[in-house]
Amino acid sequence: MQSTAFNIEYQPRTGSEAMCEALLDEGVEYLFGYPGGAIMPFYDALPDYPLRHVLVRHEQAAAHAADGYARATGRVGVLVATSGPGATNIVTGLATAQMDSVPLVAITGQVGRPAMGKDSFQETNVMGMTLPFTKHSFLVEDPDELYPTMRRAFDIARSGRPGPVLVDVPKDVQVAACNDNGYRRLKEAPQPVSGPALEAAAVLLRKAKRPLILAGHGIILSRAEMELRLLAERTGTPVVTTLLGISAFPEDHPLYIGWPGMHGAASVNRAIDKSDLLFTVGMRFDDRITGAVHKFAPNAKIVHIDVDPSELGKVVKPTVGIAADAKLALRGVLSRFEDAEDRSAEWREEIAKSQEPEKKSRDEARDKYGPIRIMAAIKAAAGEEVRLVTDVGQHQMWAAQFFEFTKHNSHITSGGLGTMGFALPAAMGVAFAYPDEPVWVVAGDGGIQMNLQELATIRDFGLNIKVAILNNGYLGMVRQWQQFFHNRRYSETPISGPDYEQFATAYGLSGKTVRPGDDVEAAVEWAQEQPGCVVLDFHIDPEANVYPMIPSGMSVNEMIEESGAAYGGA
Amino acid sequence: MPQDASSTTLNPIEVRLSGGMLALNRFLMTLQNKRMPVFSFTLGKDERGMRATMLLDCPPESARRYTALLSALEDVQQIGAASETLEVALLKIRGNAWKGSAARVGVEIHEDGDTVVASGEAETLEAWFAEIKEDLEDLVRLGPVARPGDGRG
Repeated sequence: MQSTAFNIEYQPRTGSEAMCEALLDEGVEYLFGYPGGAIMPFYDALPDYPLRHVLVRHEQAAAHAADGYARATGRVGVLVATSGPGATNIVTGLATAQMDSVPLVAITGQVGRPAMGKDSFQETNVMGMTLPFTKHSFLVEDPDELYPTMRRAFDIARSGRPGPVLVDVPKDVQVAACNDNGYRRLKEAPQPVSGPALEAAAVLLRKAKRPLILAGHGIILSRAEMELRLLAERTGTPVVTTLLGISAFPEDHPLYIGWPGMHGAASVNRAIDKSDLLFTVGMRFDDRITGAVHKFAPNAKIVHIDVDPSELGKVVKPTVGIAADAKLALRGVLSRFEDAEDRSAEWREEIAKSQEPEKKSRDEARDKYGPIRIMAAIKAAAGEEVRLVTDVGQHQMWAAQFFEFTKHNSHITSGGLGTMGFALPAAMGVAFAYPDEPVWVVAGDGGIQMNLQELATIRDFGLNIKVAILNNGYLGMVRQWQQFFHNRRYSETPISGPDYEQFATAYGLSGKTVRPGDDVEAAVEWAQEQPGCVVLDFHIDPEANVYPMIPSGMSVNEMIEESGAAYGGA
Repeated sequence: MPQDASSTTLNPIEVRLSGGMLALNRFLMTLQNKRMPVFSFTLGKDERGMRATMLLDCPPESARRYTALLSALEDVQQIGAASETLEVALLKIRGNAWKGSAARVGVEIHEDGDTVVASGEAETLEAWFAEIKEDLEDLVRLGPVARPGDGRG
């Protein structure tokens, strides 16, 4: 007889039961999945356990839903798929999670051990297929190893730099007798942060005349928002976030200046260009931020703090590199700034002045029909508690630029992999995690069609998700590149779709089409007041562009800027 | 001003892996996936399991970063810079004169049928090959391997 973490005595009879016990012992609430032949024994055991399974309509959506749940809660998301096509369908979701350091455990059924390696029906080498973009993967061939392997998968997924872990379980292992269910949890002892490195980072921050803090997703993963805010306030240092770092620092805070990179604010990119110290935490110098690396932050010393030591020096060589958890490292630096030091006032004024034209342009555009007004209307109607889940493309940039994120961890998007089709299923995960809080999806008419079938899942579970489609009849970001760099040859970017209002109705949901000249605010407020899921189809200017834009591989000096009028209009 | 990493050298790294072929597959995939500049890769097995020695052709700080990245793999039991490396070569040599010269310059040898297995520091082996080149019929260089140790260099 064995005991679980909760001292519940039990004797797992089968591998499937051991799997369920492991999930319970990890405190799992939701599984997002889709059954099939090779995972049937697990699904047969599942109803006997207090685990809530969400039947999606495509395995890719299971992965994104688990991802959204994990991003919103900080807990490990769990997805289940069968062998063969079930397993291949989760690949995009695993790669998405790996790129953005999201903890997932993916359980896949595999053909029985005697059938493996024989091109059996629905057999794929899912382990081999996912090796490059999982943190670790297991093929469990010994039934007695099933329970400890499942537990270990959770430990690996959430420890250090989080990531997805795959557990592939042959069908006969799921039904085999399983005797050993012990597991000794890996205890993650926090590594002490190097004192001299912290001291050096503090000295650089104290000496800098034009410092910037550049905060990434690591702040949210480490739950270091308070430390980040304290450091900024005690040192008077302006804060910039990466795309995934958005909502790690309140955007209505006077020290927040925006986000940089390809479509970041011109003022922020110019501030980085002039900065003499970039104090970076939990970010990895993505090429969408740096552009031409040799021209990035040409005047700045770099402090780079990251939990993954292999990130230090990967893209730029830091003046001081600290391999540590963001929270621990920031606490270490904070201990060297016990009192507030009002410094860099001139620098802040200079930045504020450079932002004035952008604010004016944005304020002017807010009254016109287009993305800025739509974002403002959503924020006004949904309130401070809203969580915004965006897809990938122009609308993603507009949301990041114009939606004011003031709530911690309220911006959820696929950053590293840039996965179209992410938003709708990811929002399901967010809505399951926070059923009483408003969740809005902002998507383009290209991406939304990649997982639109999930409206059925949303309806079945009565999820209160509001969907705003920015419909320009194009794969907008690709079209924009074609406009700028390919002489307006719009090769295969015009795209059609359904009448989304009728489509929503066909799924038993509510929908509304909003055209130029219509009352944006009234439509959004109507959606917010409806029970359950609503789809708003905003028809926007087909050739609206995202500005500014630093072309790929170039620097802030080659930035393309445009007047505010280009943001929208009919 | 931030600097790009550049200026390369050969960095010997020794790795101990657990988990058999799956682990090796994952390890090789990581080398490829992260575009690590692998100059040579030698795999062996001893009583403690699978051991690989590789040379990374990059600046030392990049090698340290790659080592840190590889150390995060679950199957990697130990990894570190190999402070001393040996080169191993298989040879076919005419006559017996080479035996004396090998002992004199410090090249370790043993014979396996017609094949001579020679090992020693790379520079020493290089000098010895030059000395016996007239008698050398065939030469296969297996690349560097770390001296037996704990894998930490």
